[in-house]
Amino acid sequence: MARLSLNLLLGAVVLIALLLLSTAYGTTAIPAPDVVHAVLLGLGLTEGEAAPVHRIVFELRLPRALFAAVIGAGLGIVGVVLQTTTRNDLADPFLFGLSSGAAAGAVFVITVTGDILGFWTLPVAAFTGGIIASAIVLSLVHSLRTSAPEKLILAGLAVSFLFAAITNYLIFAGDSRAAHSVIFWMLGGLGLARWDSFPLVCAGLLLIFAYTAYRARWLDALLTGDVTASTLGVPVQRLRFSMFFIAALATAVFVSVAGVIGFVGLMVPHIARGMVGPLHRNLIPTSAIIGAALLTGSDIVSRVILAPQELPVGIVTTSIGALFVFLLLYRTAKS
Amino acid sequence: MKHLWSAAVLAVLASGAAAEITVDNCGEPLTFDATPERIVVHDMNMTDMAFALGLQDKIVGLTGITGWYKTSADFDDLRGDIPELAPKYPTVENLLAADPQMFFAGWYYGMQPGGDVTPDTLAPFGIKTMVLTESCVHLDKNRPEASMDLLFDDVMRLGKVMDVEVKAEALVSGWKEELAAIEAKTADLTKPRVFLLDGPADAPFTAGKFAIPDAMIAAAGGENVTHGMDTSWGRTSWEAVAAANPEFLVLLDYQTGNGAADTFKFLQEHPVMSQTDAVKNEAWIGLRYEELTPGPANIDAIAKMAAAMHPVLN
Repeated sequence: MARLSLNLLLGAVVLIALLLLSTAYGTTAIPAPDVVHAVLLGLGLTEGEAAPVHRIVFELRLPRALFAAVIGAGLGIVGVVLQTTTRNDLADPFLFGLSSGAAAGAVFVITVTGDILGFWTLPVAAFTGGIIASAIVLSLVHSLRTSAPEKLILAGLAVSFLFAAITNYLIFAGDSRAAHSVIFWMLGGLGLARWDSFPLVCAGLLLIFAYTAYRARWLDALLTGDVTASTLGVPVQRLRFSMFFIAALATAVFVSVAGVIGFVGLMVPHIARGMVGPLHRNLIPTSAIIGAALLTGSDIVSRVILAPQELPVGIVTTSIGALFVFLLLYRTAKS
Repeated sequence: MKHLWSAAVLAVLASGAAAEITVDNCGEPLTFDATPERIVVHDMNMTDMAFALGLQDKIVGLTGITGWYKTSADFDDLRGDIPELAPKYPTVENLLAADPQMFFAGWYYGMQPGGDVTPDTLAPFGIKTMVLTESCVHLDKNRPEASMDLLFDDVMRLGKVMDVEVKAEALVSGWKEELAAIEAKTADLTKPRVFLLDGPADAPFTAGKFAIPDAMIAAAGGENVTHGMDTSWGRTSWEAVAAANPEFLVLLDYQTGNGAADTFKFLQEHPVMSQTDAVKNEAWIGLRYEELTPGPANIDAIAKMAAAMHPVLN
């Protein structure tokens, strides 16, 4: 327990440092005193007129930094849940065809219906697409009367391909320039982070965090295998299904505002397990902190590396992820 | 209470008295309470429009210029020391840092549907977006087909908003005269079948009925073979193009390598395209990006095209 608290404390310090950096740096250079003044002004702690730089800091960077932290934490927890419930080390939040479903939804409104709900058009469409794709996967698994992990992975794969095909069809049949817009949904980005939608992503994080914390013991039991878990009184099928459902819902919320940010959910649980072991009471908060720090850090890189241009954050997270897997393989090979 | 009412009426009257400017923006009204003092313009073609109207002192930044193209010396002269906020697409942060009241851009000209920068994401920061009319079709599928009004109307809109309407009218009527002269010369000539190509590709990227080159080709006395495509810029197939047997080619010159000559060489080596009249007769012209997107350079480009596709005129 002491080790956990120490880890969490350390993680929290790193995260706060990253949040501060994320507010201080962006695609435009703003002097540090102005940044501090802007934050104080935004919080109503000081007087003064809101200049454009203040709005950049308080209305773009601050929500963006917090979005990165919340979504990173959420994806980290979803990764833990899915790796435990499918007993597959490579399970990640986009297992249910969510990414291709979200992209298909986004492309559908771009090429077919147009801008019907203003600012919320794309988020709503991406959310709906993601939910439809995961609903198909889950009902497929459900109707097979099995919650066998490999069936879920296969169903997810099939649905992913189906929705990718729909997306490509829509691009080719309609406006070929829509391919550019899809990149945002495929590679992710936090450019749409605004205070307006902040409660939404918080709700997504709260949902997955509360439910997994509540069921942490059952998840631990699942680690021992289905048979043992059943004898311990865990309703294995039901648990798995409800976990999939909650995970899909939370991920769809994240995707609707930030697109598909790869590798965070895959990588974070491994790092966290290495630090605090496999038990979920420790694993979940640790994964949340690491996920938050990882995405916040990646987002800083995505904004600074090509400034004044911005890189999709998914490019950063997937390159870190690939290096991480190399390292993992290298270390396993040596030991 | 009575005081309140009369105050409200007065306020309404006062706001009505202030010069409120409204222009069409993809079918929606775009309204300014006063002439914007600070604007940001995206891309070469829209910047050319702003420069033609002499708006340099109002432009606080440009975006999407050096990330893609080489600028001409004339352009650099006109630009002076106006900063470029982002070499490709801007972020909201890039724009906000320059504190503009208006951003002049278009869909896939600086903005992507559902992306970081859109009229909806800029509005909360008090930045109004004037959308390039040619690009409206990306969100509204019921636009009229391309005509040279895409250029004229946008210059007029910009002129109206920026309070240089007289200058805009003079420019547009001058352009209309030039085009009328070209039309008079080509009216009795047969219209060659023209194909526009963006560059070597496995499937040709070209201009459909909503993109301005479609109207430019018509204005030069030609007939766009991909006029039937219900898109702005879009992809078709080599089979469809070759079957139409174009007699003249318009090749986009990105000023890399040998420019349009490389594209022509690609067509000469293409098994099917090499058999078309245009390739066999080497009837082609290379035009730069800003000549083929809505902007003042369209007019000269039409004159060049007309001369090249109707050799009898020379």
